[in-house]
Amino acid sequence: MDFPGSLRPALFMTGPLGLSDVPDLSFMCSWQDALTLPEAQPQNSENGALHVTKDLLWEPATPGPLPMLPPLIDPWDPGLTARDLLFRGGYRYRRRPRVVLDVTEQISRFLWDHGDVAFAPLGKLMLENFKLEGTASRTKKKTVVSVKKLLQDLGGHQPWGCPWAYLSNRQRRFSILGGPILGTSVASHLAELLHEELVLRWEQLLLDEACTGGALAWVPGRTPQFGQLVYPAGGALDRLHFQEVVLTPGDSPQFLGNPGRIQLQGPVRQVVTCTVQGESKALIYTFLPHWLTCYLTPDPFHPSSALLAVRSDYHCAVWKFGKQWQPTLLQAMQVEKGATGISLSPHLPGELAICSRSGAVCLWSPEDGLQQIYKDPETLVFRESSSWRWADFTAHPRLLTVGDRTGVKMLDTQGPPGCGLLLFRLGAEASCQKGERVLLTQYLGHSSPKCLPPTLHLVCTQFSLYLVDERLPLVPMLKWNHGLPSPLLLARLLPPPRPSCVQPLLLGGQGGQLQLLHLAGEGASVPRLAGPPQSLPSRTDSLPAFPLLEPKIQWRLQERLKAPTIGLAAVVPPLPSAPTPGLVLFQLSAAGDVFYQQLRPQVDSSLRRDAGPPGDTQPDCHAPTASWTSQDTAGCSQWLKALLKVPLAPPVWTAPTFTHRQLLGSRELRREEEEGQRLGVLRKAMAQGRLLLQRDLGSLPAAEPPPAPESGPEDKLSERLGEAWAGRGAAWWERQQGRTSEPGRQTRRPKRRTQLSSSFSLSGHVDPSEDTSPRHSPEWPPADALPLPPVTPPSQELTPDVCTQGVPSGRRQMLRDYMAKLPPQRDTPGCAATPPSSQASSIRATRSQQHTPVLSGSQPLRKKPRMGF
Amino acid sequence: METFNTFADRMKNIGVMNYLKISLQHALYLLHHGMLKDAKRNLSEAETWRHGENTSSREILINLIQAYKGLLQYYTWSKKKMELSKLDKDDYAYNAVAQDVFNHSWKTSANISALIKIPGVWDPFVKSYVEMLEFYGDRDGAQEVLTNYAYDEKFPSNPNAHIYLYNFLKRQKAPRSKLISVLKILYQIVPSHKLMLEFHTLLRKSEKEEHRKLGLEVLFGVLDFAGCTKNITAWKYLAKYLKNILMGNHLAWVQEEWNSRKNWWPGFHFSYFWAKSDWKEDTALACEKAFVAGLLLGKGCRYFRYILKQDHQILGKKIKRMKRSVKKYSIVNPRL
Repeated sequence: MDFPGSLRPALFMTGPLGLSDVPDLSFMCSWQDALTLPEAQPQNSENGALHVTKDLLWEPATPGPLPMLPPLIDPWDPGLTARDLLFRGGYRYRRRPRVVLDVTEQISRFLWDHGDVAFAPLGKLMLENFKLEGTASRTKKKTVVSVKKLLQDLGGHQPWGCPWAYLSNRQRRFSILGGPILGTSVASHLAELLHEELVLRWEQLLLDEACTGGALAWVPGRTPQFGQLVYPAGGALDRLHFQEVVLTPGDSPQFLGNPGRIQLQGPVRQVVTCTVQGESKALIYTFLPHWLTCYLTPDPFHPSSALLAVRSDYHCAVWKFGKQWQPTLLQAMQVEKGATGISLSPHLPGELAICSRSGAVCLWSPEDGLQQIYKDPETLVFRESSSWRWADFTAHPRLLTVGDRTGVKMLDTQGPPGCGLLLFRLGAEASCQKGERVLLTQYLGHSSPKCLPPTLHLVCTQFSLYLVDERLPLVPMLKWNHGLPSPLLLARLLPPPRPSCVQPLLLGGQGGQLQLLHLAGEGASVPRLAGPPQSLPSRTDSLPAFPLLEPKIQWRLQERLKAPTIGLAAVVPPLPSAPTPGLVLFQLSAAGDVFYQQLRPQVDSSLRRDAGPPGDTQPDCHAPTASWTSQDTAGCSQWLKALLKVPLAPPVWTAPTFTHRQLLGSRELRREEEEGQRLGVLRKAMAQGRLLLQRDLGSLPAAEPPPAPESGPEDKLSERLGEAWAGRGAAWWERQQGRTSEPGRQTRRPKRRTQLSSSFSLSGHVDPSEDTSPRHSPEWPPADALPLPPVTPPSQELTPDVCTQGVPSGRRQMLRDYMAKLPPQRDTPGCAATPPSSQASSIRATRSQQHTPVLSGSQPLRKKPRMGF
Repeated sequence: METFNTFADRMKNIGVMNYLKISLQHALYLLHHGMLKDAKRNLSEAETWRHGENTSSREILINLIQAYKGLLQYYTWSKKKMELSKLDKDDYAYNAVAQDVFNHSWKTSANISALIKIPGVWDPFVKSYVEMLEFYGDRDGAQEVLTNYAYDEKFPSNPNAHIYLYNFLKRQKAPRSKLISVLKILYQIVPSHKLMLEFHTLLRKSEKEEHRKLGLEVLFGVLDFAGCTKNITAWKYLAKYLKNILMGNHLAWVQEEWNSRKNWWPGFHFSYFWAKSDWKEDTALACEKAFVAGLLLGKGCRYFRYILKQDHQILGKKIKRMKRSVKKYSIVNPRL
């Protein structure tokens, strides 16, 4: 094999990530100056480079990917989003805004939604101290509390402090009994667990590593036009589908019949296929453009079998496509700690490497079975908590690469265990940034060997992409900042469109972004980016192809299109007739949708060459030339129709309904039953679509009847006139006089207002006129929370103003002043100084309030000022 | 182009802290577009930039800038050298050009030599520097530079460093043992390099038994790699060498190499699929491979049998000879 005669200059410094003292010279290998300097190859390099950049850009045939298969009937739920977990208020005072997980909110939601989980164990612990049934306790035991009473007591509980809590011994006893159990230890333990879970979920939300590598694969069929897409389907992605697809030149790919299915026991995370050498070279040919294959008489070279490896969370399996093109299971394996990666050997048929979270890498071959070749629970370069591991093959069939978040190492499977050579490390060698982590490593040797040397490895991090040659470890051959906003977990090296030796490398972010890079580096030249990177349209770009929708459905569609990409496959379909080769991309979303996008080589790309300055490595926007055809939009609306038939996902968890039947007395029970019946009848009526009748509503009209039109002064006038006409004017006047003195409905509203203000301002000396009906409205517990119906009518009948009825307002003020000068008398009620009638009324009022547990009314004067709460 | 120049100048003003980096990028861009003079001027400007703290990062950048300038000087120098080689010695212009060529030299060497002491990959610089040193007859200096570049532990294990050294030594007609020792290291780094075949021939000619054994190892090593499976020279060498070794009664050597490969070479090289496709593509390759297969796996091997079955007019004789040798020397069926 040729080794590049002259490598690109690079500084080599050892050190940790983000070393500031080292100048980042990675720009020197970006595409602009990647073309060899005129010194090395004086004249022809320029021309050669120009020639190369001519025909490597691809343009999408449609402005966005199109749905390929009708949506499956399994409902899909987008799941947790970042907004669900984040603290919404935000710390304003923080100088630098940072992400804060809202633990408090999550705890409160947890307690609401999973009360059974949160409280049931506590209840069990305290079971012997509670009595669920029976009336008042007759037992001598002071350690047993009746739940019924307690619930009644708690009914009056207020969130903002409980001023009369001391009244209930039961509550006190409850707190004494429950203190040790309900104390902070349990809550803090729960909070800790929840916090842990939240952090886990958050990490998962930031990077869902499960689908690294991609769960969509293309298995070439017996003839070049046919092939199979292998992908997981179903709500849980636990059904492996084999969908046959026909690729016709100039037309969109068509699927044939129903997919074959294999039901698995866990969600499919990764699907890898590899064409085995006839029974490894076939691989090469299937990836070549068809016209080339034709030229080489395709039949014997076309694969007669292919291997398919599937990774689930805890299982791995290999299938073989045999003569009948039917998958037969070769081996299924259980990975106890969880599998993180699987890869098939491009060299030897049937060999595959599996890595698990325990840090072990195993090699499986049909002959030798499973053998562990490496195990190290620690990460390679520096300590990192992630247990993600990855394994892949190299140009030497007995050498494997093992990767984790910190670096990549080469291992000799035949050598002594543990020895190896670091191929790539996150550090100053590759001038990595702080916080950079490896997300994906891939061996790029599966490609046609004429374009790129078979010794290249792709290493992707959040920020950059590195090409590393295994013959020159630690020094990346190429570094490029990809700028994808979402983690890059999918990469596919595609065959060159022409034997011009520029290979497109397709990158896929989890968020659906796609990027196309062009790699060149044939023979003895250094691998380089041969042209500006291209960004391809993502699924959300095809939103305009769908018909106009109402907002809710639009939102649903958008959500569906925004689902993370979990699989990527690319095929060069055979185009014997077409002058230029095409490219079909397939994408699989987490919702289970398969989309396809056709690409064709761009015709005029020469003008782009001088387009940008070197600093501008921003991807070109996709070509605006493509537009939607009526066929596309028809296909989209058909797909949408099918999508709308898919039932919405049921909520992940619904709060269980607790029954109080055993706890509550018969009266509440009956009331509940009645309510239940009523609801049942209502529902029935609604279902039948008939009119609601009074009997359906039962005893519903508990609500106040609508207020009768208040009689205004005009009415009074007409009434008076009418009376006077009838000669009863005087009598009416007398009556009217009497009525105004009574507190009518009309006066109620203004009074309440004064009452509120007075309750805040004073209670030491009481305005006698506003004393009696006071307390019940502000702190009255809601009627349904109280076992006893609120007793408003009597207190209202008892006119508070009776005592001052005859007293004119001027005298009233005098009376007040007089009372204020009196020495404060502790035991005397405030109304003592008022005329006897008012005293009586106040006594009656207190009596009426004694029914309720709200008893503060009985001693109005001793009540502390209420400003405290 | 003009737009870019103004853009770069503005960038330099805005990012004063990154002045050097931007200048370098600018110069590289100019180079890429073949504007060598502008690039040179740019680099000279940047070279004299002194602003802010004297950090090591800045020093490296300045070194790099100087080195690039040196590279440009080298470029004009080599052009002049080409002119010189075209001219007759008697030509009246010869002296002037020669003078020019000589004047260039020491400036350049000063520019480059500072950079290549810093750990890194400096292939183009080292290459041009050595060429100039060689031209002026400073062989020891050139060798020192190359040895440092290849053997300094702070540098990455760059295969090119060893290749340059080997090529230099070869030009200098260094003794074989020295060449072997250089290539031995290269063999450890890149067993798949094409120089390995040269290494093999060196080893084969060596008198030392140990070297001849290594020669076999090297051949096996080359063929291990996926990119070398079609290397007909390697297969040819292997077939010939295997036969020689087996004839020389060194069965143990072969077995030693074969033991670690016997469970995967048959599938990797000698599968039925390969027999078919190799025969179709390159019959000569197929024959060599078949011979090796026969020697290593015995005459029952599928690859061997497939090739035997094909009758080819020209190769018929060869195949027959092959069959005989396999019968005689195959390691599977040792002659008892």
